[in-house]
Amino acid sequence: MSSEQTTEKPPYTKPLPDMRPEGEPFWAGTREHKLLLPAGPDGVPFWYPRAYTPGTLDAVQWVESKGEGTVYTYSVHYIGPSKAYKGDPPHIVALIDLDEGVRMMTNLVRDEEGFPSLDPEDVSIGMRVRVVFHDVTDEITLPKFTPAG
Amino acid sequence: MGESTPDVREARRMLKKGIVIAGVGETEQGVLPGRGSFELLAESTKLTLDDAGITLGEVDGLITAFSFVEQTLMHATTLADYLGMVPGYFASVAVGGATAPLMAVQAALAIDAGLAEVVLCVRGDNTRSGISSSGMIAMAREMSHGAFEAPYGLTTIGGYGLLAKRYMYEHDVPQEALAAVVATQSEHAALKWNAMLRDPVTIEDVMSDRWIATPFHAMDCSLVSDGACAFLVTTAERAASMRPQPVYIAGVGEGYSHQYITEAKSVDSVRQGLGRAGRRAMEVAGITPDDLDVVEIYDSFSFTPLIALEGFGICGPGEAGDWVLQGNAKLGGKLPMNTHGGLIRQAHLGAMHHIVEAALQLRGEADDTGRGGGNHQVPGAKLALTNGSGGILAATSALVLSSEPPA
Repeated sequence: MSSEQTTEKPPYTKPLPDMRPEGEPFWAGTREHKLLLPAGPDGVPFWYPRAYTPGTLDAVQWVESKGEGTVYTYSVHYIGPSKAYKGDPPHIVALIDLDEGVRMMTNLVRDEEGFPSLDPEDVSIGMRVRVVFHDVTDEITLPKFTPAG
Repeated sequence: MGESTPDVREARRMLKKGIVIAGVGETEQGVLPGRGSFELLAESTKLTLDDAGITLGEVDGLITAFSFVEQTLMHATTLADYLGMVPGYFASVAVGGATAPLMAVQAALAIDAGLAEVVLCVRGDNTRSGISSSGMIAMAREMSHGAFEAPYGLTTIGGYGLLAKRYMYEHDVPQEALAAVVATQSEHAALKWNAMLRDPVTIEDVMSDRWIATPFHAMDCSLVSDGACAFLVTTAERAASMRPQPVYIAGVGEGYSHQYITEAKSVDSVRQGLGRAGRRAMEVAGITPDDLDVVEIYDSFSFTPLIALEGFGICGPGEAGDWVLQGNAKLGGKLPMNTHGGLIRQAHLGAMHHIVEAALQLRGEADDTGRGGGNHQVPGAKLALTNGSGGILAATSALVLSSEPPA
């Protein structure tokens, strides 16, 4: 196939996040390549974003994460949840324990153009990872993680 | 046994009245094109009434679940209309795979409160053949958080995979242990007349199958099937005039630990959360795991029964894999498990078939030789534990069933 030099990205067909008011500060942060975490009045972060702090129902503030953590667990997905994944190499869904003490879901990727999936043999529970920001559309940037160092 | 808490004492008071499963019915299971959701529910209702030896007019309570195909906000009364009955008590229960045991609990509560005397609990669907694309999307998204999990391409299989991988890492559980659950249940399914997969498979067969999401091969996953299943709950007094030997509900329990898999705190918090359901059901029944003769344990994936066996105290933490590998879960083993093949080999209707199989075991009627299957009866079975779990081991409900009235 002859390569056409085009600046237009192919349309993004994979699932996009449901947008709800309680998540808006988070997605505004990722657009600026910042990883913001919701936290209670004591500054202790929690995950996932809610309108009130779970357990106490206190007001929420936002704190910035350093974006570093360890792999708690992962599953190599050979089949995705929709047709948009057909033909892709396996993708790795992981749970990351951020150093700030919250656990979030992500994909493990290589820090290269397009953030392709890490090879399954390069992943292990307990490995150190750092955040990268994947601008999947003009509005949505998904935080993903790549091996640290 | 130590001092029981007031909630346990209250559950015992209710069950001492004698609340029983007095009839069961299962349709064919598998790929049934051309059969509708309500048609299947009606067939399993008819089979259950015939088993009990009563007519539809004698049923005064109706508890249903939900349908992915016939999506309605009023499932119980829509079915009542279809069946041509006017129940005095009706409800729909929707807690995913925990629904079936909870239907039995709701029926017991309604009977104890005097709201109904003969309660039909029925669930079925043509999930395999009849689902629309919107139903499929609803099903696929069911277990994921729409904002913070779904964008990473999480599947339900992979969600269980995340927990299973961590469990195997913490306890050094080999892949063979998961495959042994499948192989064991495949031998049982070979004897069940309506099992979808009747050919036994070996550990090697499972291990060489294609990957879906690690640590699960295709054979480690539960089936998607068409079919329906029902059971009738009533008082021992009322059941005395019905045909089958009554099966007593001797214990009930529930347990919860998280909704989204990201929120699960640890392998042990999940084990304890779901384990509470079975431990409490046994406490209410006044029994210990050693008293059990047979267990029908929810098996959405090969890993699922392992953590449940540990949570219920049947095996120690991390020990269920070896326990299954040693053959304890087989027919003829120490404590036969999923004697109908389970969700992995028979069919998937949540835990409906687990309850029906437990009831048939305690009636001594788990021999399908006359209808094209084989004998999967556990000789002399008197006490069974069964459970269902919704979400990714999020919410669990368990029952202890007994051939004898509660002491």
